[in-house]
Amino acid sequence: MTQLRAMAPGSVGVKTIPTRELQPNPHNPRMLFDRDPLETLKNSIDKVGILVPLTVYWSRAEKTWVILDGQRRWMCAKALGLKTVPVNEVAEPTPVQNIVTMFQIHKLRADWELMPTALKLQVLMDALKEKRDKQLADLTGLDRAVVVRCKKLLSYPKKYQDMMLDPDPERRVKADFFIELNAVLRDRNVRRMTWFRPERFTSQMLKRYSKRRLKSVTDFRKVKQYINNAVKAGKTRVITQRLREFAEEPALPVEHLAIQAAAVSAKVHQITTAVTRLEVMLRHINAMDYYAEEALWSRLEALLQLIRVKLAEVERRSR
Amino acid sequence: MRNPGRRGGPRDTERFNGWVERFAGYHSHVSIARIERWLAQFTEDHRDLAARILDAVEFYRPDQLAGAYRSILGALPGWSRNAPQRQGRWRFVAFSIRSGESGDSMLATFRRANDLTGARFNELFAYKADLLKENLGPEDTVVFVDDFAGTGDQAINAWKEALGELLPRRPKAFLVLVVAVQQALRRIAEETPLMVRTFRHLRPRHNFFANECTYFSRAEKGTVLSYCRRAGKSNPQGYGSCGLLVVMAHRCPNNSLPILHGRSTAFRGLFPR
Repeated sequence: MTQLRAMAPGSVGVKTIPTRELQPNPHNPRMLFDRDPLETLKNSIDKVGILVPLTVYWSRAEKTWVILDGQRRWMCAKALGLKTVPVNEVAEPTPVQNIVTMFQIHKLRADWELMPTALKLQVLMDALKEKRDKQLADLTGLDRAVVVRCKKLLSYPKKYQDMMLDPDPERRVKADFFIELNAVLRDRNVRRMTWFRPERFTSQMLKRYSKRRLKSVTDFRKVKQYINNAVKAGKTRVITQRLREFAEEPALPVEHLAIQAAAVSAKVHQITTAVTRLEVMLRHINAMDYYAEEALWSRLEALLQLIRVKLAEVERRSR
Repeated sequence: MRNPGRRGGPRDTERFNGWVERFAGYHSHVSIARIERWLAQFTEDHRDLAARILDAVEFYRPDQLAGAYRSILGALPGWSRNAPQRQGRWRFVAFSIRSGESGDSMLATFRRANDLTGARFNELFAYKADLLKENLGPEDTVVFVDDFAGTGDQAINAWKEALGELLPRRPKAFLVLVVAVQQALRRIAEETPLMVRTFRHLRPRHNFFANECTYFSRAEKGTVLSYCRRAGKSNPQGYGSCGLLVVMAHRCPNNSLPILHGRSTAFRGLFPR
């Protein structure tokens, strides 16, 4: 043992277990860990030993020690050839306790597949009879947005959930596909369309996805936007037909849903909102309080000039 | 790999008909015209070699897949059609789902082959997404059904990325395959708790480019490699350098030679994927 290790305080109430008798926790989301932090930990353990005992439990079913917390320390111990590791033993957790602990301990990495996490969340939701996003986020330590995403995935039939679990990464359908599609499936205007069947529409979009006829899964946001714009512009009948065509013919681009009048209508709404906001602000200011604000007055003069030009273009007189 | 015909054998009607009959059932129909077009991609000097490659292809018809699944299930410990005689709970799960096809087609083949289509067997068939809440334990068995493993990459990654988390109480887990390469079997056994059961086990001599494959000379292998480079630049020896001559009726694995399945502008395989 190195001098530094010998200086580490002894542990009370802790025992040691042969390193090879430990098993990783099956609920530990991923076996992958970032290399550099692991290397740093390994160097530290090499110098001073494992200062914080691992938390383990004895699995009666598997007749083995299972790590609840400390897998990285264990991995480093194995790499260093340490024969034993210090552990604190706890009672075997229930599956729900185990899942919650794993969520709390392990931060969700952006590159992890989401479906296994969603399935564990389902176990918790069923066992605890808790469906509220905030409560689930507090319980698991997951971001609320992640909880929402998981619940969207769980809303799909199992056959689609399995597509996100496919062993072939090229064939696997990304969780983002189903998450982005969800907004269209739940759109109330879409759900009112008499031809619309959620499962059939999902299959049609999957076909489009597999034939690479979607530039990006965020195309579904455009779909929803085009639908919203069309409905606001009173073009519901047109968009209903266009969406059906889009669903049935994978070769049609997303732009097939763009209705010119609807696009204009959306722009009008945008400009009117901005003008109204400016109008309200100007009405409420006392001009004399801003007497010396040259930049402000210059901009307003320029805006006034621009408005006169635009009005003239549409043959309206500015009053 | 089948024993190919002798060098210089006639490419006559009988031979063509033999190919058409043997490859009948491939999802993209293999006709005489298509075989002729495939052979025409080789120079005249190399067509005899190409013909011998077709002779050597191992083709698995649907009835052979069914037969394989029947024999494998019958040998799994603890299995019985009769529920009271079965040991623990059993679940059959598709290992992979192809979204463009009828989904879990291998599982459907397995189910039909084993005469488990009755409604009373419905509970035995599950999705992967069901497994976690089923909470299967050491006394239970889950059987993943697929068709082929070349390198074992998919099985290993599948375990590490998802399946291990979905089976936390570690039931007995079998991976049932029709065909598997020896290196895949070894790697899966070393790196996962999955127990592989396979009908056909391919050894190094089934790798076209291996020294153990003595049906073709080194010069012939070099010639084929040059065509394979045209058909599939990224894996000219087949994915994982498996160099296989294996085709199944529903698909040609990408571990097989690219001249069989490739779709480049320079070369079109006879068995497109």
